[in-house]
Amino acid sequence: MALTYRSFSRRRFLGGSAVAVTAGALGMPFVHTARAQAATFKAGVITSLSGENILGGNLTKRGYDLWADTVNEKGGVEVAGERFKVEMFYGDDQSNPATGADAAERLIVQNEVDVLFGPYTSGSTIAVQPICQKYQVPMISGSAESPNVWKAKPEFNFGIIPSVDTTSGLSLGVLAKLSNPAAKTVAVIGVNEPFSKETGEGFRDGVEAAGLELVAYELVPPEGDLTPVISKIAALNPDVVAVGGHEEPLINVVKTSKSLNFRPKALIMHYGVTNPAFAEALGADADGTTGVAVWLPTVPYKDDVFGTAQEFTAMAQKKSGVEPDYTEAGCAASGLVLGDALKRLGKKPALTPEDRVALKDAIAETDIQTFYGPIKFEKEGNHYHDNIQPVPVLIQIQGGKTVAVGPKEAAAAPFTYPLPAWK
Amino acid sequence: MDLFLQTLLNGLLIGGVIATFTIAFQLTFGVLHVIDFAVGGWVVLGGYLGYYIVAGLGLDGFVAIPVAFVLFGAIGYLIGPILYNVRNSRTARPELMALALTFGLFTLLRGGMLTAWGFNTRTVATALSGESLMVGPVTVPLIRVAAALFAVMIAGGLFVFLYRTRYGLAIRATAENRHNAALMGVNIRRLSANVYGLYAGITAMAGVLMGAIYSVNPESGLRYTLFAFFVAVLAGLGSVGGAVVAALLLGVVEAYVATYVGSSYSLLAIFATLFLVLLISPRGILRRGL
Amino acid sequence: MKARWLDILFLGALLFVLVLLPLLVNNYWLRIATGALMWAGLACSWNMLGGYAGYINFGHSAFFGLGAYVTALMMVDPLGLPFAATIPAGIAVTAACAVIIGAPTLRLRGAYFAIATWAFAEVLIQFATVMEFTGGIGGLSLPPFLNERFFYFAMLMAAALTYLVTWALFEHSRFGLKVKALRDHEPAAEAMGINTSLVKLQTFVLSAVTASVFGAIFAYWVTFINPKSVFGGDITDQMVVMVLLGGLGTLWGPAIGGVALFVVNRLIWMYWGDTAFYIAILGAAIVLVVLFLPNGIAGLFAKRGRGSVSVLGKAVEKLVGAGEGDRK
Repeated sequence: MALTYRSFSRRRFLGGSAVAVTAGALGMPFVHTARAQAATFKAGVITSLSGENILGGNLTKRGYDLWADTVNEKGGVEVAGERFKVEMFYGDDQSNPATGADAAERLIVQNEVDVLFGPYTSGSTIAVQPICQKYQVPMISGSAESPNVWKAKPEFNFGIIPSVDTTSGLSLGVLAKLSNPAAKTVAVIGVNEPFSKETGEGFRDGVEAAGLELVAYELVPPEGDLTPVISKIAALNPDVVAVGGHEEPLINVVKTSKSLNFRPKALIMHYGVTNPAFAEALGADADGTTGVAVWLPTVPYKDDVFGTAQEFTAMAQKKSGVEPDYTEAGCAASGLVLGDALKRLGKKPALTPEDRVALKDAIAETDIQTFYGPIKFEKEGNHYHDNIQPVPVLIQIQGGKTVAVGPKEAAAAPFTYPLPAWK
Repeated sequence: MDLFLQTLLNGLLIGGVIATFTIAFQLTFGVLHVIDFAVGGWVVLGGYLGYYIVAGLGLDGFVAIPVAFVLFGAIGYLIGPILYNVRNSRTARPELMALALTFGLFTLLRGGMLTAWGFNTRTVATALSGESLMVGPVTVPLIRVAAALFAVMIAGGLFVFLYRTRYGLAIRATAENRHNAALMGVNIRRLSANVYGLYAGITAMAGVLMGAIYSVNPESGLRYTLFAFFVAVLAGLGSVGGAVVAALLLGVVEAYVATYVGSSYSLLAIFATLFLVLLISPRGILRRGL
Repeated sequence: MKARWLDILFLGALLFVLVLLPLLVNNYWLRIATGALMWAGLACSWNMLGGYAGYINFGHSAFFGLGAYVTALMMVDPLGLPFAATIPAGIAVTAACAVIIGAPTLRLRGAYFAIATWAFAEVLIQFATVMEFTGGIGGLSLPPFLNERFFYFAMLMAAALTYLVTWALFEHSRFGLKVKALRDHEPAAEAMGINTSLVKLQTFVLSAVTASVFGAIFAYWVTFINPKSVFGGDITDQMVVMVLLGGLGTLWGPAIGGVALFVVNRLIWMYWGDTAFYIAILGAAIVLVVLFLPNGIAGLFAKRGRGSVSVLGKAVEKLVGAGEGDRK
């Protein structure tokens, strides 16, 4: 063993340097090749294609792709009378903020994208923002819903979906108004992970304004078993249980509640309910679950790329086989924002660095109507650069279908309250 | 008081659920001396099998349990010799290389499942899903009871197998001292393949139950690996009986902390318990092997 | 002596290339190189305890995360201190923590030590998640400093220093001999008059402190951390696999393994990154290396006859060997 230092041999060393040199050499050829082909706009998509947020990551990708495919079928984005196709590049953030930053750097430096479409998770979005700032590349986020993203006042990032603190609290008020006999008490469960926790806090903070009483606020770790917390809440017997979480814990909340034979008068969740996979996984047990959506296939909006919301839905359904939810819609709408801004900018590809800054300014001035609804970005405050125009709609799963039940003017079906006992 | 009893039951049942995928893990460690990272992968594979049997064939999820055993037992039987070779190779660090192999296998399974089956969270419907019984003031979730019974059956079955059959004797002898066992005519290579197959089959069966109790997606494997490792070490590596005791202990700690201290502290409490127990009793709570 | 001279020449050439790299490649490749240097350094820090002392630490990310969190907490409001001030603080906190945790934990052997350290890392994840001052699960955003070259050179300095310290301490000093002696046979080392508890603890603290420095640079570089992104078990897993692939208990093994795995991961991710299939490829690659390169990549270059086999073998027995030893 005393002799190990002798193994610091030339051959070993060669091995080490060979790897380093190969890495460098592999890099070289890619450095300045990207701009050779015909003029297209290049857009980079950063999202979670692996890791714990794959479901949402793929939803966002689907939405962004749907816009690109649709607009390319029409010949491309129209700029100064000419049409230019959009080329999409992808970077997986592996559900990890640091990898998200790597992906942003790669898409900007290697693929020389003109614009980025933002990640599914808020954590990645926050890590990517400084990179956008560094290279002065605008980013449109069709999915991030955490208020933390906008508190940082990101100059180059724009959000399509209203931050969750503006929607989850309000929805409890809508629910309270619809309930008959009137709901009085609420228990809130927040899964302790990004977004879910903020959703739970939104519910918690909205309880008072809704004229309700908070009987429990529980933060649960995503890997934990839910029986203890459900038993505890069942003992308090609240009228409403509100849950902030992603699809997997939401499914487990319903399964655990049923297995403990606990059925509150209303069960409201924020995100996963609007995702068809939720109803599919739970079957009949999903019925009655209430959710909050900022967009539904039935909303009365339209634009000239996708047509009406119904036409958009049909198009998306044809492509992926499932009904789009509001994340997918928000991501597709991100493309509309880009198309509109490029048209107003009037610059052909490839965009120069100055053009990209001008593009950012053009996006900031967005004021359009789309199938998704009105889009206009805040210019100051805690929701800087977020689009808080959409009004949350209360939805409920009835007979396996997602239907709008409130507020009254948006309702397509009566609100089932109180929920019937488990079958 | 009612909540106290309910919490006790919840805790014991969480323990029973954890025990389902830790018992066979212990057996594998005892015989092959391999810490199998892929344990979570087998659980998730079992869950998916359950999902496809329910969704594709319209059968009850319980039908998937024997199918999982046969299918993944066979696959495990084929992988077993590879693991055995790596573990007993003449390289410098066979134990760690075996661990790296199972880590690679786990990553391969995870990537393969993501590619093949996508990212949706699936569940397994069974006759007992969502059913419950009221016993006095306490609600008893039947699917979890089924899982706990499964754990008891597996532990009991293994006990009888290990202590009442000649092949069980050979397994115990190998766990005790593989060189002596080999001298006594035990084909250790073959035995290792059998044990790994048995383990993969049992773990996949547990996976069907996990799909029925919780849900599965390709990324949920790691948490099962984590719990299997922790319970195994808390029990004393290789101790099958200890696995049950340790799983129950962790389950009860999780339930009481979640109910009476705050749910957000439940995992903190579990990991702190494990860390402290190891400091006090460095070889786990039950210090004997098989 | 000739071989020695050549070694120095190669080392000089390597350093020369590394120092000039920012002029040769674009920012993206510089970022990849920065990441590769970080992983090479982290793998080496894990190897100090795992390779040289034979104690397999499954919770090494705890110290990486501690460094990251100390830097982040000191740089954000209300303190708002400069980055340079946070490094000594991170080192002090990590060293204190490593002593407190290491002293009782290092009594454990093999897998029990491995899992106890893992449990400790999980405790820190949960702690950072539950507490308010750490920003909880929402994490912390650091003031961005957008200079890729700064971070490249910071990582380069940290990595070079790590390897220099490893070379001097573990390969060329009495201390290194003591560490290896306790790895090869702890009771015998004890009988020789080596204070094994102290030597183990010193190695543990050194290894922890090294990881924390990389954590500090990482936090400032990525500008955003949350409990899973710096304490997560996958960080430790990567370090372990890198060391195993490169060559356990060797000086250059961790560097080769770290750079190779990180760069291969990023290349696969670049070209097949729009599906999750690259995860399967990565898994298959690890399996193949284990099956066909069981001594790690460094093993390819080891001279026959005097190979590292017998020397390193003992390290691993520590993983589960304690139990086996009792039964023999």
